[in-house]
Amino acid sequence: MVDMLSVVMTVNGRRRTLEVAVNRTLLDVLREDLELTGTKECCDAGECGACTVLVNGLALDSCLMLAVEADGAEVSTVEGLAKDGKLSPLQQAFLDKGAVQCGFCTPGQLMAAQALLAANPHPTLDEVHEGLSGNLCRCACYLQITEAVLAVAEGAHE
Amino acid sequence: MQPFSYERPATLAAAVALLAAHGPDARVLAGGTDLMLGLRSGSEKPSVVVDIKHIADLSPGIREEAGAVAIGATTVMSDLAGNALIRRYFRALAEAAAIVGSVQIRNRATLAGNICNASPAADTAPPLLVYGAVVVAAGPRGTRHIPISEFFVESGVTTLGRGELVTGIELPLPSRRTGAVHLRRTRRRGHDLASVTLCCSVDEGGVAKLAYGSVGPRPVLFIDDTGTLADPAAAHEAKARVLEGMFAGASPSKRSMRASPEYRLAMLRVLGWRALQTAIDRLAEERTHG
Amino acid sequence: MSAAKVGASPWRVGGDGRVSGLQQYVADVHLPGELHAKLVTLPVARARILGIDTSAAAQVPGVRVVVTAADLPQPVPRYGPQFNDRPVLAVGETKYHGEPVAAVAADSKDAAEMAAHLVRVQYEELPAVFTLAAALDPAAPLVQDPALRPGDPLAATNVMRVHRVGWGDVDAERADLVIENSYSFPAVTHFAIEPHAFIAAPDGDGIDVWSTIQHPYWLQRILSRIFELPLSRVRVIAPDPGGGFGGKQQIKYEPVVAFMALRVGRPVRLVLTLEETFQAVRRAAAEVHVRTGVRSDGTLAFQDITADYLIGAYVDIADRVVNKGSYVAAGPYRMPAARIVARGVLSHTVPSTAFRGFGNPQVNWAVESNLDDAARALDIDRLEFRLRNLARKGEAFIPWDTPADGDWQQTVRRAGELIGWGTPRQRGHGRGIAIGIKSGPTTGLSYSTVRLLGDGSVIVLAGTSDMGQGARTVFAQIAAQELGASLDRVTVVMGDTAIVPYDAQTSASRSTVLMGNSVLKACRSIQAQLRTMAAVLNGVAEELIAVDSGVVRLPDRELTVLEVLRAGLGPLGGELIGNGETRKDAEPEHPLQGSPAFFEFNCTAVEASVDEGTGDVAIVRHVTVSDVGRAINPLQVRMQDEGAAIMGLGHTLMEHYIYDETGRVRNLGAVDYRIPTSMDLPLELHSEFVENADGPGPYGAKGMSEGALLCVSAALAAAVREATGAVVRDLPLSPERVWRALRERDRERAQGRDER
Repeated sequence: MVDMLSVVMTVNGRRRTLEVAVNRTLLDVLREDLELTGTKECCDAGECGACTVLVNGLALDSCLMLAVEADGAEVSTVEGLAKDGKLSPLQQAFLDKGAVQCGFCTPGQLMAAQALLAANPHPTLDEVHEGLSGNLCRCACYLQITEAVLAVAEGAHE
Repeated sequence: MQPFSYERPATLAAAVALLAAHGPDARVLAGGTDLMLGLRSGSEKPSVVVDIKHIADLSPGIREEAGAVAIGATTVMSDLAGNALIRRYFRALAEAAAIVGSVQIRNRATLAGNICNASPAADTAPPLLVYGAVVVAAGPRGTRHIPISEFFVESGVTTLGRGELVTGIELPLPSRRTGAVHLRRTRRRGHDLASVTLCCSVDEGGVAKLAYGSVGPRPVLFIDDTGTLADPAAAHEAKARVLEGMFAGASPSKRSMRASPEYRLAMLRVLGWRALQTAIDRLAEERTHG
Repeated sequence: MSAAKVGASPWRVGGDGRVSGLQQYVADVHLPGELHAKLVTLPVARARILGIDTSAAAQVPGVRVVVTAADLPQPVPRYGPQFNDRPVLAVGETKYHGEPVAAVAADSKDAAEMAAHLVRVQYEELPAVFTLAAALDPAAPLVQDPALRPGDPLAATNVMRVHRVGWGDVDAERADLVIENSYSFPAVTHFAIEPHAFIAAPDGDGIDVWSTIQHPYWLQRILSRIFELPLSRVRVIAPDPGGGFGGKQQIKYEPVVAFMALRVGRPVRLVLTLEETFQAVRRAAAEVHVRTGVRSDGTLAFQDITADYLIGAYVDIADRVVNKGSYVAAGPYRMPAARIVARGVLSHTVPSTAFRGFGNPQVNWAVESNLDDAARALDIDRLEFRLRNLARKGEAFIPWDTPADGDWQQTVRRAGELIGWGTPRQRGHGRGIAIGIKSGPTTGLSYSTVRLLGDGSVIVLAGTSDMGQGARTVFAQIAAQELGASLDRVTVVMGDTAIVPYDAQTSASRSTVLMGNSVLKACRSIQAQLRTMAAVLNGVAEELIAVDSGVVRLPDRELTVLEVLRAGLGPLGGELIGNGETRKDAEPEHPLQGSPAFFEFNCTAVEASVDEGTGDVAIVRHVTVSDVGRAINPLQVRMQDEGAAIMGLGHTLMEHYIYDETGRVRNLGAVDYRIPTSMDLPLELHSEFVENADGPGPYGAKGMSEGALLCVSAALAAAVREATGAVVRDLPLSPERVWRALRERDRERAQGRDER
């Protein structure tokens, strides 16, 4: 029998109280308990970034975090980017620039980009490459993703 | 994932008591970037995981105190890489911290966790060795200060005893102007594990230090106090003799997937020379502008 | 959203779902009462199974079923796209590291994992062959039971099949110089960011299966046979896969998942770990030996090529890969004589399958590199050499087959211009240029149904799989163009065999051409119906009415499609339905069972520099130009080509399976198998396409998306060679390998000095 713990986290602005087994990852709890399947599972090793979410504003791999560690934290996932059904400037830029092919890495890319721009509103090309290097894209949309992020940084998508 | 108990001690004493009680059956959880991999693969099978991020009397962050910079145990790599004190006095450590994994990893991985994991390829280890770091550990019998050169034993093994927890790492402020750099070899430009990881410093007293990892069971430090390496005018052959002496003990694993022993030993030399030159150049800059 | 017209680049259809996280991939689908499955595999390359004890596993709370081969119908059903060689679970022997011997289904993932660990397999490790040399050794153990190939003389060997293509007389052809070299290409894996996932659920007397499959109808057919169900009772639901690249083309673990679901009467889901995907799909490794005969006037005399592909323990689609990949190995050149002998060699490794390029990248690496050697030996410029020998449009370069279907010199010249070929180079920089060609589909069948609804909005039913290449958008654009609807009023329905009519497969870059044409034909059928409507409504002869791009042109005025539609449907309402079929029948006598419908043609040029101390290659500029006929969606074309180029850099610079001395894979998963990240891009990557509306697809389009991957390796290795003199004939060009080649060069130069 695995220990259960009550955790309270604010997910996309909504306060959620959950009973979770202590050995479950934040990724699994988001996807299964909260049915927020936008965050994806791929390598489970912190290498691919498909599971990137923001915890207290920091981008991290949710596959490498126990859900109980997010107790008391603010968690942002891709589902929280659009407001009142309207896509965020970053989401729109991704579509404009063709930064989406199969879409599986897209949620992680968006969250990593969100954090990057929050910390560095006007990144250089190299800074964008570095900031997103933890998000693998096998369709290799990298050029288009970079263009989308830079377009938002330049305020082209307000 | 395998089952385990999860503890969230609120005090250092409670944490130490837990670790002492469970010994090898306990694992410390700080950033989790190593532990979670082990839990998933089954290479780690703790009965209890001790989360140290809620310990009220663990000094957080990076502070200057008593002639040293103290780095709290829960300090993550991204904070280290961006910190003004670290960048000013321990530039090579900031460089190393900035390339540990990706941004996502650096937002979680702690310096303390990195050294406790004791991978021979830990990128922060060579700079810590060069800068003479001291590991502060709290245990059942009190607090110890362990010089980093006495900390690593072999892959996955440190000199920490049962129940001991690293509470911080102290870096003595340099008494002399120093130029230093961290370099490494990887398979791609994107984040990767190093097949050679190296740090070199020279100071205005003519002392040169070279530390390297990933070419033996643990990271190692060599010091040249003859002034040969640090002297820009010294003959190439003289420097080569000193450097070769430093590299002689390197013993890269024959089983590595990242690179062959032959390549690693060659790269040790290529990076060693480059790092030395960069360290000399940076010291010169320091002297002009510092 | 911008204009939907063909030739524009509107927002990707389905893009909203992808950026909002609302799109449901297979792993996001949950059914009530579902069980979680886990596969059981052995930690060795090959083993004889002595016994399996499932009792401990079965006792784990929450476990509902544990299956081994013994629990399946006997003899255990076998399946595969080309041969029925693969058993649902290993029978008597596991033939590669990762072949499942058992499967568990339980209430929770954790219970399934725990139970999987408790399945006790008694086994005896057997020697495995996992290199060409080992597999071809006369004393090698046979990977396949000869009884599976009765009457086949090769059944006593590990050679699956030999494919021979040739013309002229290579041995009699006059050549002033013969360049002969051997090259090797590593095994690499697809590493789609979405791992394969499968769900099976009993549905009345039939079964519903969700899969990340690229070929839903092919899967449906095989499941129908295995489970002895009519097609109408096998429903395959195929949500847009999260990347396929060929690795999701073929049936994989759907049968064992379906068996468990039927056994327990509940849905069962299996989502592979990334490591398990490496053990499920890969590209064939190859050793290619090339003899190129050239004449001193710079023309080609012959190509004499042997290509051995190391395929896996089960054939999957690998034999077709060997056949098709080697078929155009001699390249798109005027070639008086050619002899190509290609073999698929079975081994105790992960079954190789389709992978972007389909057997062409392996031979292209060798043949284009060898052409460079030939040009150098003749002291002719490498670009000029290619231009001189390139087949001209309309010329057959394989004597009996589809002639060159593009102005390929235009493509090559453009690539040369973009890289600045012939202009002064920076010190330490080198340039390379290479050409890639691949046959498009040789047979095919695509149906589409288009429904023009009463308000002018449109539903397109098309069974293509959109795994990121943008098929949905292309079909929506065609329908929007032809029927005058705006793009946001066109819905494309894919991925459900119960609703969407038959499509043979999504492969060989066929979908814009084959399914696109079907969508176009369906729209044209609707246009014909609109013409009839307009004729009746206005008392005008049909021949005098034209319908195109949403406009109905009568002799004296123009009406919109919507106006005619509303008036024509009347108070009962309704819709107009059009069906389109595009069929390319097989030609049994043809070496490929059919001539290529078109060719993908690409020219890639690279400028690079090398760190002489470490062997690191820095790509300064990478240009890729493809001949596409017509870019229905220019942005998507650019994305595909740049994506393919970067994927090509993967196997060129860093990707390869690493085996231990027994044949186990050492680098499963993301930590030690490296693919390009955003920091591994060329300093400049530039793609362009040539449009001459000379393709067989809608508006003159050809298929594309594989071309830009084909010749990356040869172009980059050539650049490295020009920059440093280092010669590499084995991929990947890892820093270590380049470093070794540099040291080899140093040794040879020193020797040269000593000998003088």
